[in-house]
Amino acid sequence: MRWLLLSLALQNLGRRKARSLLLIAAVALGSGVVFTGAVLMQSIDRSMAVGFTRLGADMMVVPEGALTNITASLLAVEPSELVLDADVLAKARLASLGRIAAQKIVRVEHSGIGSHHDSADLIGFEPARDFTVQPWLVEKLNRPLQQGDVILGAARDGVLGSQLLIFGKPHVVYGRLGRTGVGTHERGVFMSFATLEALGEAIGGGMGGGHGAKPAVLAPGKVSGFLAELAPGATPLQARFAILSNVKGVKVVAGDTTLSGIRQGLAALLDGILALMVLMFISTALMVSVLFSAIVTERRAELGLLKAIGARRAQVLGVMVTEAMLATGIGGILGVVLGVLVMRLFERSLVYYLENVGVPFLWVDLPRTIAFAVGAIVLACAIGVAGVLYPAWRASRRDAYDLVRGGA
Amino acid sequence: MLSCRALRKSYVTERGEVLAVAGIDLEVEAGRYAAIIGRSGSGKSSLMAMVGGLSRPSDGTVVIDGTDIWGLSDDRLAAFRNGRIGFVFQFASLLPTLRLVDNVALPAMLGKRGDVDVYGKAATLLARMGLGDHLDAYPSECSAGEQRRAAIARALINDPVLLLADEPTSDLDEQTEIEIMDELLAVNRELGTTLVLVTHNLSLAEQAEQIVHIAGGVIAS
Repeated sequence: MRWLLLSLALQNLGRRKARSLLLIAAVALGSGVVFTGAVLMQSIDRSMAVGFTRLGADMMVVPEGALTNITASLLAVEPSELVLDADVLAKARLASLGRIAAQKIVRVEHSGIGSHHDSADLIGFEPARDFTVQPWLVEKLNRPLQQGDVILGAARDGVLGSQLLIFGKPHVVYGRLGRTGVGTHERGVFMSFATLEALGEAIGGGMGGGHGAKPAVLAPGKVSGFLAELAPGATPLQARFAILSNVKGVKVVAGDTTLSGIRQGLAALLDGILALMVLMFISTALMVSVLFSAIVTERRAELGLLKAIGARRAQVLGVMVTEAMLATGIGGILGVVLGVLVMRLFERSLVYYLENVGVPFLWVDLPRTIAFAVGAIVLACAIGVAGVLYPAWRASRRDAYDLVRGGA
Repeated sequence: MLSCRALRKSYVTERGEVLAVAGIDLEVEAGRYAAIIGRSGSGKSSLMAMVGGLSRPSDGTVVIDGTDIWGLSDDRLAAFRNGRIGFVFQFASLLPTLRLVDNVALPAMLGKRGDVDVYGKAATLLARMGLGDHLDAYPSECSAGEQRRAAIARALINDPVLLLADEPTSDLDEQTEIEIMDELLAVNRELGTTLVLVTHNLSLAEQAEQIVHIAGGVIAS
């Protein structure tokens, strides 16, 4: 029986080929947009998460009098003997700031890193709060960063997992950063606060003065500066004013405001695309609903005949729902196929270009892509069912005789 | 076998209420051939629709084989129509996308008669109607007479106790009309199926054992 109803539905679709094809094409477009949109938006979201963090901090808070490199596109704290309390920004509770990452920086010589006379910047960061160093990791060991691990800037040589002696103490090369174009980043050796603090005595002995005094920044609770992100909607001017009004003895250096604008603008653009997708989906659903309303009206004599020969209301509904699900389901599948083709095109053009210029594009993983595809097909079927349900339900409630006679 | 009491049917139109059937009492005994005759618009088709469980009466009852059909739930009425009543309409009433054999088998499949070789029975009935070589034909490939004969085969697939034919030959030529009437009468006589025929053609009613003349929504004679 089910096979016969399925066959009936298929052949009904075949009766009006042009209309069925147009319906399938409309649903394919709608579900294709939903599928492609969902995958691309998720991918863009993931890429933005990495890309934006790579854009670095929006502003930098350092001790007043510290030197800063304002020409670098990526804000980076420079080595200085001046220090700040590690909790100075947290205590101020500034609403205009989002994430805040503290750094300790010490420039050392004769450390064993590089050639004998080379100076090296040892940069301490808090792995759990950091958003400016780890996004640049291009390779790393397959485990979390731990004490004794170091990350090398792009200009430093070192094999992943190999031992690196710093002031004679063994460390493990945990990872390597990509090229940033910022000197401190390129030449730096990055490590956790604990790893850097453990080097305190050795660094004191190796400093230019040779007095064995540990640099002030290596004392617990002291940092060289902070890298901060703006809170959503906050402007650099608002944040700068808030910091300078609440925290004494600091200097605020804002990054390129264009980057902050791009960050906030892209987020708004994605919301806009999502809204457009929802609108397109609703308009497809309405169109399918109107079309099926007309199809049910056109076929009421046939539905009446089915009732007359003993079809129950559920069976009458079943015939129409099967037909609608078939049409929209085929549309949904074609939409997913169309979406895959569009994304292949996208991958070979824009994504290829982006990756060539060093902008990462991270596709959503396969299981989630499959889930989106299944979701788009189910959604397409749901459009069909929703579109046909009301007119078919109304028809199924009418007297068979009225339907057979085609009465209004 | 068939008993109608005070049957009324009115339709609400933009111009007000139209009374199609204005209170009809009718009795047809089992196995008989009854003809309901009347001019167009006399209410005979509305009466047949109510008798066949296709159109709910505004008032009155229809009892078939002891069952008050309009007292049944929607699904039970559908099952009753499926199993106990056969219909032959005045138009080509086959589903155009199904083969003749599928069309004939459909009511049995809707009724989920798993105990019966549905397609075998459909083929037998079509053969009886002289359509044994048309099993796989689609309605559009058949003449009007062949389609009507297939509709009779479909009406018989569930062994109904009552066969209702509403102007079954109105659009057919004279020779085909005779052939179709012969088929209907053969069903009535050989299978003992009660036959109620609605027609405006007096010559078709001549062979009926009971003739009911409807005029203005009431029984005129």
